[in-house]
Amino acid sequence: MPSAQIPADRDAVLTLTDVRIHNDAADEELVHGVSLRLRRGGVVGIVGESGSGKSLTCKAVLGVLPEHVEVSGGSIELLGRDVGGLSRQEWTALRGTSISAVFQDPASYLNPSIRVGKQVQEVLRIKQGLSRAAAKQRAIELLEAVHLRDPEYVYEQYVHELSGGMLQRVLIAIAISLEPEVLIADEATTALDTTVQAGILDLLVELKDRIGLSLVVVSHDLAVVAQLCDEVLVMREGHVVEQGPTSAILHTPQHEYTRLLVAEHEQYGLNASATGPRPPVPTAASTAVPVPVLVPEPRSSTMPASTEPVLQVDGLGVHFGRGRGRKQALEGASLVIRPGETVGVIGESGAGKSTLARAVLGLAPVSAGSVQVAGRDITHLSGRERRAFGRDGVVQYVFQDPLRSLDPEHTVAVSVAEPLRIRGGLDRAAIDEAVRRQVRAVRLDESLLDRFPGELSGGQRQRVAIARALISSPRLLILDEPVSALDSANRVAILELLRELRSTVGVAMLFISHDLGSVAGISDRTIVLYRSRIVEAGDTAHIVNAPEHPYTRLLVGSAPTLTSGPTDRVQRERLRAGLFVS
Amino acid sequence: MIRTLLRLTSARVALVLLAIIAVVAVLGPVLAPYDPLKGGAQTLAGPSAKHWLGTDYIGRDVLSRILAGAPLSIVSTLEVAGIALALGTIPGILSVYLGSVFEWLSLRVVDTFIALPFLVFAVAMTALLGNGITQAMIVVGMLLAPVFYRVSRAATMSVARSQYVEAAAIAGASTTWIVRSHVWSKVLPSIAVTLANTLGIGLVVISSLTFLGIGIQPPTPTWGGILASDLGYLAQKPYAPVFPTLLILAAVLACNLLADAIRDAAGETGRALTGAKTARSNRTRRLAASADPSRS
Amino acid sequence: MSAPPSALTAPPAARRGVVAHRIGRAVASTARLLAIFVPVFLLGTFLTYLLGHLSGRSPAYLQLGDAASPQAVAAIEHKWGLDRPFLVQYGDWLGSVLHGDLGTSWYNGLSVAHALGQRAAITLSAAGVALVLGIVFGFLLGALAAHFHTRWPDRAITTFTTVISVLPPFIVGIGLAAVFAVGLQILPAAGYVPIQAGLGPWLSHLILPAIALSFDTAADVARQLRNGLVSAYRGNYVTGAIVRGLGPRRIFFVHVLRNGIAPALAVLGLKFPNLLGGAVIIEAIFGLSGYGVYASQAAVRGDVPAVQGVLVVSVVLVVVFNLLVNIVLNRVTPDADRGV
Repeated sequence: MPSAQIPADRDAVLTLTDVRIHNDAADEELVHGVSLRLRRGGVVGIVGESGSGKSLTCKAVLGVLPEHVEVSGGSIELLGRDVGGLSRQEWTALRGTSISAVFQDPASYLNPSIRVGKQVQEVLRIKQGLSRAAAKQRAIELLEAVHLRDPEYVYEQYVHELSGGMLQRVLIAIAISLEPEVLIADEATTALDTTVQAGILDLLVELKDRIGLSLVVVSHDLAVVAQLCDEVLVMREGHVVEQGPTSAILHTPQHEYTRLLVAEHEQYGLNASATGPRPPVPTAASTAVPVPVLVPEPRSSTMPASTEPVLQVDGLGVHFGRGRGRKQALEGASLVIRPGETVGVIGESGAGKSTLARAVLGLAPVSAGSVQVAGRDITHLSGRERRAFGRDGVVQYVFQDPLRSLDPEHTVAVSVAEPLRIRGGLDRAAIDEAVRRQVRAVRLDESLLDRFPGELSGGQRQRVAIARALISSPRLLILDEPVSALDSANRVAILELLRELRSTVGVAMLFISHDLGSVAGISDRTIVLYRSRIVEAGDTAHIVNAPEHPYTRLLVGSAPTLTSGPTDRVQRERLRAGLFVS
Repeated sequence: MIRTLLRLTSARVALVLLAIIAVVAVLGPVLAPYDPLKGGAQTLAGPSAKHWLGTDYIGRDVLSRILAGAPLSIVSTLEVAGIALALGTIPGILSVYLGSVFEWLSLRVVDTFIALPFLVFAVAMTALLGNGITQAMIVVGMLLAPVFYRVSRAATMSVARSQYVEAAAIAGASTTWIVRSHVWSKVLPSIAVTLANTLGIGLVVISSLTFLGIGIQPPTPTWGGILASDLGYLAQKPYAPVFPTLLILAAVLACNLLADAIRDAAGETGRALTGAKTARSNRTRRLAASADPSRS
Repeated sequence: MSAPPSALTAPPAARRGVVAHRIGRAVASTARLLAIFVPVFLLGTFLTYLLGHLSGRSPAYLQLGDAASPQAVAAIEHKWGLDRPFLVQYGDWLGSVLHGDLGTSWYNGLSVAHALGQRAAITLSAAGVALVLGIVFGFLLGALAAHFHTRWPDRAITTFTTVISVLPPFIVGIGLAAVFAVGLQILPAAGYVPIQAGLGPWLSHLILPAIALSFDTAADVARQLRNGLVSAYRGNYVTGAIVRGLGPRRIFFVHVLRNGIAPALAVLGLKFPNLLGGAVIIEAIFGLSGYGVYASQAAVRGDVPAVQGVLVVSVVLVVVFNLLVNIVLNRVTPDADRGV
């Protein structure tokens, strides 16, 4: 295994030796020494949260550090050449041809006013001096090489006309167009749908083998890195806390933070078993492995069948717009949630997950079917009736990003109390008492009551949002991607809290997520949405173990796990092709 | 927010300037050493101990005319801003809540007002409607209202689409509740900024109108009118326009300073509310963002 | 708004629609622009006519004086068609406006369109030169400030633009007249010479009013361009272009300028009414007999058709100019989803 301590290595394409990055404006060191060695054809991974310094390290390698931020120590060697003293011209010549990169949020990395094809062509014309026609032809070949269906069509599009996954493929096409030795993928699959992410990762692996790229893969998700990399660096707050071969990091994590990352996947991810080909079986019961920081709550999903459902949705249809712009956002969706039950909803973005939740609350226009909450039909309430229903607080909602769902000018106490104050009929003292009780129930310190959302951590904020939702004693809690905006540690803690509340409060939950791991970790039953329809529904264990619909199979096969092999790639490829036809 | 505002030097300077101007506006006619309408033998005299700012073409004391003209110029500016505020802000906030018909109509009216050549319209309408100061203020107030409409509408929309408003709506909150407890406090700073800016613009417009002799007829002293009469005698007394100009500029500058200070203070308060930690990361993000990597 | 097709689902059939799609989009964006500008034109003319009507002015008093007998007034009002219902009058008037007939002045009985036609050269020359000055200096200053972002030239330019944007045009006008015409005596203080008399004399009469008018436009264009360029430089696509190995010059001209220019273009559309409006006061200062002077004289006399004529022409100019700006904007940044 490559290691920073070994001196000269003729195979190394990129070598970082104790790289330190310093912000001159604030006079603080941001990265405290990173060493790594990337061999030709090798893959090195960097894992860490945002602010851990992993992206800065990449920027340093690419020579695009922000103003006032610079490499203050150590050295970066690219293809045996120290990049420290390069002039601007030398950098310009080097970038694209020797090293290139792709990043998170691909849409923002392409010029919105120029057709994407022109941008692929631009690099070829400028850097390789190809003629217009030759560059266009080569560009289309490249778009084909990154498996974009119908490259001529893609060539003519603007950024806003393509999806995130397609744009990332375009960016990869540009990045490999000059056949660089090193490609840096900095959170390149973050915020993409699971299936799309798997596709991009598969593509990277394929390109590595086919054109001999060496990769640096950066992600906040240990599983993404583990899938691809020979060696992993774990970074936190500018320090490399652990570094070594992937298998060692996964099986014998030394640092507490690494253990947390691994535990998160074992707890709430789809951790593949070593034997079974695929997929694993992370039912609530089977994932209840005791881990120091986590106290999972094994629970039976058997419910008295006779109980009246908390939520009954029949043949729900939602569409937006009319005429030719009409878009069906949800079609014929039916589901039942019984008291105390947790139902997960999973699907790619745009599949109709949030539409389903919003239609239940009357926030989306229902065009067909019905919604019954606790036996009452609420499909077509008037504005007045809807408000009265809201004040009863039978259904409550928790949003994805607590920073946006809490009024920045309201203290925790004011925010949590709001549903009760809107309902009215309680005096100040009673409300205060209820707020304190609720805040304790979500494991928040009462001293935080006078704080503003901005003064809290992400996890604390989401607890406040949950407290606000629970204070009106709802029978159904709708959670729309409640942990997606949180980092690993908080994600685990909030899922933990939800499990706990489910048994103590007994509230039923509709848990929406794009992440199969968190859905599997908390739901009794799971519903799979695909292109506005429910394509599969059943016990979570069944969905995860024996998915039937091709999309579900692709989804389960795409979920990043700590161990997954190259055979999955072939299978995924087949499923993708199948879905395209279907 | 007000406390944050008062800590800013620019805000203090602006407020001191505005306070002086307010004093002049209230006490101006009392302080005037001479009758602003009565001419004297000395015409177009330079500054002297007797006439600090000299005399005009029929020998009237310039200082007295400026002081006497202050109330009209300042008070009508305040009234113009008030009319614009009321005519713009209320429909601006309501346009978000009153349904699509009102929204469409009010937006088109605002587009139209913005498309009208401001001064031509103000001059024409004021003159046609009777050429009085009241008419002038109503017309100018109406023409300035679109700014308030747009600002308050934009601010309201960004809040109305926020998730915390949606959370309140899910809990059954009425529109009144939402506007009172979530929207109002967030719209206020932008309106305050606009108000301060509008005061400056209003003064310029009122001065322009009086310069043209629209709204108020000579010999009533106004700052614009004084400038107009100075213009005729530039050859004899080329520095004459300096004094009223300085006053107008000082007032406009004070308004602009105040507007900027309010904007800063609101931003500061916003950052304080979203947390010290966020503020710091915001600052580093800003620093990082301000970097232009192509020049590194 | 339909969501972009996902990588999984993009049907090859989509290609067939590309051309139709592009044409459809062009039609749709034109229709959207018209849907905004036609109501503005109609409302603008309606407001203009309504206010004229509400003013209660009548040609009778203009011609007979205040002591006119009611019968005489009624006779004259009948002759001008003013005894008909308001909407009929408006419809009639709008109809002739669309044919280019702006009516007849109550004051001297001459054609308003003809009178305005004679003055068009003066006002449009002044506003046009001001527009050119505003664009040239605005773009120069804005680009310089953006280039030296956060360094001293940027701060100097920002301070300068802030100061000149505060200066009202009539004060600038008086100042310029005092310094260049009266003080230095290098330029004429007043009057207008048609361009047929030579470019030099024409420009020398126009340059001071045009400078006075252009300050506000130059300042706003400079500020918007600076901010537009600076924020375009912050765009990830610039980082992307750097990482692809493109040079700084290409990045500026191809990627930054195109995206950073939009706010400056948009502000030009908003500034045009100000240029026309500012002409009123600038013309008064520099003794130019253009639209502005015509409008204020007509307004003071109570010559309603003349005032309405000026306003309609201004509204049309503004609407046309804004349409042009929007068409350019749509071409420069095809992705933006914008209103007026």
